[in-house]
Amino acid sequence: MAVIQAIDICKKFGDLEVLHNVNLDVEKGEVVGIIGPSGAGKSTFLRALNHLETITSGKIYVDGHLLDDRVNGINRTNLPKKKETEILLEMGMVFQRFNIFPHKTVLENVALAPQKVRKLSKPLAEERAKELIARVGLTDKLDVYPAKLSGGQLQRVAIARALAMEPKIMLFDEPTSALDPELVGEVLSVMRSLAESGMTMLIVTHEIAFAREVANKIIFMSGGEVLEHGAPRQLFENAQNEKTRAFLNAVL
Amino acid sequence: MEKVMEILRQMSGWVDPLVKSSGITLSLSVLSVIIGILGGTFIALGRISKNKLINKVCGGYIFLFRGTPLLMQLFFIYYALPLAIPAMTLNNRFVAALIAFSVNSAAYQAEIIRAAIQSIDHGQAEAARSLGLTPNQTMFLVIIPQAIKRMIPPIGNEFIMVLKDTSLVSTIALVDLMKRTSQIQSSQATALVYLPSAVIYLIFTGVFTWLFNRLEHHHARYE
Ligand SMILES: Nc1ncnc2c1ncn2[C@@H]1O[C@H](COP(=O)(O)OP(=O)(O)OP(=O)(O)O)[C@@H](O)[C@H]1O
Ligand SMILES: [Mg+2]
Repeated sequence: MAVIQAIDICKKFGDLEVLHNVNLDVEKGEVVGIIGPSGAGKSTFLRALNHLETITSGKIYVDGHLLDDRVNGINRTNLPKKKETEILLEMGMVFQRFNIFPHKTVLENVALAPQKVRKLSKPLAEERAKELIARVGLTDKLDVYPAKLSGGQLQRVAIARALAMEPKIMLFDEPTSALDPELVGEVLSVMRSLAESGMTMLIVTHEIAFAREVANKIIFMSGGEVLEHGAPRQLFENAQNEKTRAFLNAVL
Repeated sequence: MEKVMEILRQMSGWVDPLVKSSGITLSLSVLSVIIGILGGTFIALGRISKNKLINKVCGGYIFLFRGTPLLMQLFFIYYALPLAIPAMTLNNRFVAALIAFSVNSAAYQAEIIRAAIQSIDHGQAEAARSLGLTPNQTMFLVIIPQAIKRMIPPIGNEFIMVLKDTSLVSTIALVDLMKRTSQIQSSQATALVYLPSAVIYLIFTGVFTWLFNRLEHHHARYE
């Protein structure tokens, strides 16, 4: 069964339709790379899954639960707030600009939500946070404030922070685009090991080489639509759509 | 030499009444700024609120109290309000002044606090939300702690304005530092009294400027 099932997602900002009938099935453990030109609606789609944007119409199932069912902006799910939060917590999100809390140390950043949302005791939350911070290779930075960290380190903290809520799915919106080239590798390697551990991942990225290596499936979006999808090999080497080929020619 | 000694002796006689009267100046400004911060926080949250009614009411409050003279607000609370509603008669002049200064300061501080809150990158709230924090948790654990540092300098500025504006209380016959100064000036027919009085004002503003700088520094420790 699909962990994420998005059916005919449409999203309008006023009169501007930025998503048009987007469909996507993501299986458990699958890594999906989403590529496409700027303004294609990639971020909007990812944010819609996580309710950072409200879709205009379509259905979203997460782990079998109906999270969204909208027609012309009208919600038909009647999901209680508590249930909605619970379903949303199945998804962790990593942002292009990290969005680390600057007034909290690395440890506090990672331990905050488990304490406040999952109601874990502070010692337990911190113990788990330390394990995750070790996993992203930042044990020596536990008590450091974010201002002292590089972009690559910040993004690794952001990944640990999202993982602390024990999501089943991780959403990445261009996690390396704001990084200096020499810092991209450390973030990708954390993501690679996460993929190897069986995490279900949706990654919007311009790192074509990485997508090709790690993803099981590639989605090409343009103008608010999914124009092509398929296995990386097929899509990168034998794209069917004119626009996909033009895009790949431009970025490769 | 003789003359200088004479002046110094005269001035030392003023210090005691001036310092005593400055208690009103100081307590009035400190209390109204503190009450103003508390009230201003609620009004600021109201201004940010998506609830249209709360938003409008808070906007109206700010418009009213920033848009009319403080002196008028003071007179209104002390003289006019008791005429309209006898139960609102405030026999205590200090309480009347405190109310007027607090409600006025709250309006200014609401705008300071709102601006500071809204200056925090929206990504912070999005990250908090994606971690499951409620809107209240997001506001009080993530946004406000970062906004505080940005509020401190303008609130310090506001404090100094209030400290000086308290001189208006002489109009309702409350004897603050300024009132005492002008009493001495007219009874002894010497303008020299402005000197020690100004020094007391400067000590207050100096100490509080230093205090607010320390506070700002403390809140910037993570940067
Ligand atoms: N809040 C908003 N209000 C209005 N229009 C928006 C808003 N957010 C995004 N858009 C528009 O929606 C379209 C899709 O934007 P989106 O950010 O999803 O693209 P993207 O594929 O992520 O692009 P990029 O590669 O540049 O990040 C763009 O035309 C953008 O201008
Ligand atoms: Mg984007």
